[in-house]
Amino acid sequence: MTSTPMPAPGAAKPVATAVQAPEDEGLQTGPLVTPPPATAAGVPMIAIDAISKWYGSFQVLTDCTTQIAKGEVVVVCGPSGSGKSTLIKCVNALEPFQSGQITVDGTRVKDKATNLPKLRSRVGMVFQHFELFPHLSIIENLTLAQRKVLGRSSDDAKTRGRDLLARVGLSAHSEKYPGQLSGGQQQRVAIARALAMNPVVMLFDEPTSALDPEMVGEVLDVMVELARDGMTMMVVTHEMGFARKVADRVIFMDKGEIVEDAKKDDFFGKPRSERAQHFLSKILQH
Amino acid sequence: MNYNWNWGIYFEPSPEGVGTYADMLLSGLQWTVATALSSWVIAFFLGSLIGVMRTLPSKAAQAFGTAYVELFRNIPLLVQMFLWYFVVPELLPESLGTRLKQLPNAPFVTAVVCLGLFTASRVAEQVRAGIQALPRGQGMAGTALGLTVAQTYRHVLLPNAYRIILPPLTSEFLNNLKNTSVALTIGLLELTARARAMQEFSFQVFEAFTAATILYVLINVVVIVLATWLERTVAVPGTR
Ligand SMILES: Nc1ncnc2c1ncn2[C@@H]1O[C@H](COP(=O)(O)OP(=O)(O)O)[C@@H](O)[C@H]1O
Ligand SMILES: [Mg+2]
Repeated sequence: MTSTPMPAPGAAKPVATAVQAPEDEGLQTGPLVTPPPATAAGVPMIAIDAISKWYGSFQVLTDCTTQIAKGEVVVVCGPSGSGKSTLIKCVNALEPFQSGQITVDGTRVKDKATNLPKLRSRVGMVFQHFELFPHLSIIENLTLAQRKVLGRSSDDAKTRGRDLLARVGLSAHSEKYPGQLSGGQQQRVAIARALAMNPVVMLFDEPTSALDPEMVGEVLDVMVELARDGMTMMVVTHEMGFARKVADRVIFMDKGEIVEDAKKDDFFGKPRSERAQHFLSKILQH
Repeated sequence: MNYNWNWGIYFEPSPEGVGTYADMLLSGLQWTVATALSSWVIAFFLGSLIGVMRTLPSKAAQAFGTAYVELFRNIPLLVQMFLWYFVVPELLPESLGTRLKQLPNAPFVTAVVCLGLFTASRVAEQVRAGIQALPRGQGMAGTALGLTVAQTYRHVLLPNAYRIILPPLTSEFLNNLKNTSVALTIGLLELTARARAMQEFSFQVFEAFTAATILYVLINVVVIVLATWLERTVAVPGTR
């Protein structure tokens, strides 16, 4: 089993999805591995609609369209430089885009009226290089944004922080500093830091690429648990084992385009595009 | 050399009527320290603001920051001192200019403002370098958590940038301290000015400047000790 203590499926309502949003009322009690298709009743959690983005004259994203339903886990893969990071950063407006629209939980990302900090606080993000704040202790890393953005009291924020540290198996480290933890531990803290904000969506940008091989497993375990708890996840990764285990869909990108957007079994069974086949054959050789 | 050494001169009464030459030098030291500390407050806060502006996405903010730094860094400090003391009051509306000239501590106030604005340009460059030395992902992580730009600077970028630039900031602090002596040209009775006065009254030039030198060295030592203590205090566990 996994090394990280997380609530068993079907136990208490999973913390990760215990959000303020009213549509969470009467949420399923078990893990939600097969969500309703995005076209079913209700809006998708993330709707990416014809996004194009340029850096100067270089087009980094071309007409990207996809939808991610509530509770769905979508893996994004593709060659280096294909625009995966850029696309995922458009979702929480870390990167601006020139045309198209993205809607997250009903809120338009590209809209003057949108309160971006508020939107971002509901979209958790995990980076390749962890990006913990080195001058803050682990518990301070988890409480800073809760206090400054959500206005929680220091005590409430700490309680929530400790809860999540326990979930990722790092209770003993709350008073340490990021520089005193291993890469795998830092990334688990980074996941806990994002979850502390009660996000409705989690974005991961190659969360295990900077890790020593022996630490990849502990981070993936946390992500698998999170997926099984019903979190809506968009994950840029080349860990095809993770994709096979928990992804609902796989998106393959190349040269700024979404080349393939298929159900997991279809993708691994018979990728339709030659580019995806080529990519898969290279990545699965190892 | 036909020179009458007189190391007892410090304890002889100064021609000012009250106190000894030692008292005169110590009062100069007090003005030096007061000017250095007050101007540093301006330099630190204004310099941080200008340095931050140079790292903001806004082109207008960047342009303003760059213009400030180039302007104040490239005009000789002595010229700036004269500009503030002799020229600026003339350029102001007459009543305001006269009020300035008649300020009880006009040389002190002018020196503080002038040194503060000058040193701010140097602090700004350090702050900018410190922020730009941080991984780009740090700011992104703050933003992604929902922190505003100001919160990200206040709670994430600046605390780390200041730690990186503490050694060069200490140098700037010491430079600022030494630069207070330029203010003797506008009549501030700081340490160097008092040593010169002592020399003129007593003709004991070596004794006067020996004392000044030792006092400057002493405050430098104090500053370095404090900076080292500060560096240790704010060091982040687990780094280096
Ligand atoms: N700030 C930038 N300015 C110019 N080009 C960029 C910038 N960021 C990324 N790119 C380019 O955009 C393309 C896509 O980058 P990225 O989204 O990071 O790809 P991936 O994550 O798939 O490796 C690359 O060719 C990269 O060089
Ligand atoms: Mg990338």
